[in-house]
Amino acid sequence: MSNNKLLHVIGLCFFLNFSNAIADIAPETISIEKLEPAHPHRIYLTDLALGHVIDGRIHILNGDNFKYLGLIGTGLMGLTALSSDSSEMLNATAYYSKGTRGEKTEFLEAYSTEDLTLKAEIPIPPRHAQALPYVGTIMPSADDHFVYIQNATPASSISIVDRKNERFASEVTTPGCWIILPSASNMARFSTMCGDGTFLTITHDQKGEVVKQSRSEKLFNADDDPLFVQAARIGDLFYFVSYLGIIHEINVGGETSVLKKSWPLGSVKDLEGGWRPGGYQLIAVDKTSRRLYVAMHSGGKEGSHKYPGEEIWAVDLKTKKVIQRIAGANSIAMTLTKERKPYLYLYDGVEAKINKYETIPQMKAISVSEPVGEFAGLIQTH
Amino acid sequence: MEWLDNFFEKKTRSIAQNSSRRGALARIAKYFVGAAFVLPVLPFDRSSANAATNSKDFDPLDDQRCEYWRYCALDGHLCTCCGGSITTCPPGSSASTVSWIGTCENPEDGKHYIVSYYDCCGVSSCGRCYCNENIGEKPAYRMGLHNDINWCMGNESEVYHCTVSIVLGTASDKA
Repeated sequence: MSNNKLLHVIGLCFFLNFSNAIADIAPETISIEKLEPAHPHRIYLTDLALGHVIDGRIHILNGDNFKYLGLIGTGLMGLTALSSDSSEMLNATAYYSKGTRGEKTEFLEAYSTEDLTLKAEIPIPPRHAQALPYVGTIMPSADDHFVYIQNATPASSISIVDRKNERFASEVTTPGCWIILPSASNMARFSTMCGDGTFLTITHDQKGEVVKQSRSEKLFNADDDPLFVQAARIGDLFYFVSYLGIIHEINVGGETSVLKKSWPLGSVKDLEGGWRPGGYQLIAVDKTSRRLYVAMHSGGKEGSHKYPGEEIWAVDLKTKKVIQRIAGANSIAMTLTKERKPYLYLYDGVEAKINKYETIPQMKAISVSEPVGEFAGLIQTH
Repeated sequence: MEWLDNFFEKKTRSIAQNSSRRGALARIAKYFVGAAFVLPVLPFDRSSANAATNSKDFDPLDDQRCEYWRYCALDGHLCTCCGGSITTCPPGSSASTVSWIGTCENPEDGKHYIVSYYDCCGVSSCGRCYCNENIGEKPAYRMGLHNDINWCMGNESEVYHCTVSIVLGTASDKA
């Protein structure tokens, strides 16, 4: 036997041995991945997917390792919010029977955040606001009994849905007003912001029928310096910021809303360079440290109010001073985790990446995800 | 803006195209005109419609660019890139029954005009030439000045396609 042939024989023996050593892959069956248990760093990223707008979605990720965990479909311009206890993802949306045409039906859907399955779908009036998913376009009551949904035809109204009993309850017209600001102390009350600068407060009964409407004094000037409707809250106190950077602290707990305080976001020195707030979900507040976080950009001007965050500013609500400024990762949406030492998640509107920051003792960038989302603009944490 | 300049320096042009509107991502589009950058998933890139490679090197009357004067409060896909024109919806779509308003300065005569932005509806999103301009744009408590909402909302099919810009007349005051 030549050396060559010998090598071939040896090789064949190795191959046969090797083949015999590896067991065949056992027949498999398909199953459903079990969603990892929820934790405070689970992220829900609402994506309008406007390039295929009938097919919006929520991306769900682990905010520590940024593993993609799953997706919830949200239909045509769905409005999304976690329930107050984070057990459900609420989605008010529309579907056409033939994709882009045909009969339209609208529902409030409730998806379990334990396994992302649909738990309930409640028919609602066919006019949910087909708006960007701003915080406040759909809101649960603090006890999760009711869900409030912003409507637009474009005339404004708000649907009151009895989530507990799975039924649409009533609709209240809110002409010239927008956004839903639920009271934390009164489970049957919410306010909305109106174009004349007042807040309208609506109180309903346990059936969801409106029993009282009260209008506040003029709390802001929509002509000269509009308030962003996207707000952050501690209980009944909502924090708003105006286009020009005036913070407003407004209490919505009573029969009428009351402006408690307002002050400029930053000192004259801070604001040198024309710094203004901007973005889509541009404000967050930490109830423990009493710090407010706002996405800011320099060179602010008429029309710049949606610019992404060049910096994030931290404001001490006690001293009203800016205590830290940090690079803002082009943030167009931000949220704090629901922890005593919360982390701040920022969605980069340029790179489509999620940025994780520490906030205590001070803001510090920790990690960043790979790109996720096509047209995302709302970020929530469990 | 320095951050923007820095941003541009870091990027290379992408031809990935995929747009959307009213969104999140918004205004940034304006600053990306001609800039070289990579955005693998986001809808900012308007390179397919914008041949210019330098932001200083464009025709201000090019109606396929976000800088075109009528678009000063337009958030959406330009119908001029989707088979329509400044004032016409693309074939097969339908015009929205409601609209929002902007007040824009025409560089040719220096006058301010009231522009009504109508959406074209009933066809899947065009996805081309996304713009997001917000001069005079207000939150939805001033609904007629708001552009973060689908103005196809009053149509038989509310599916958004693209946006046109109709001049209503001159404005008596600057917006």
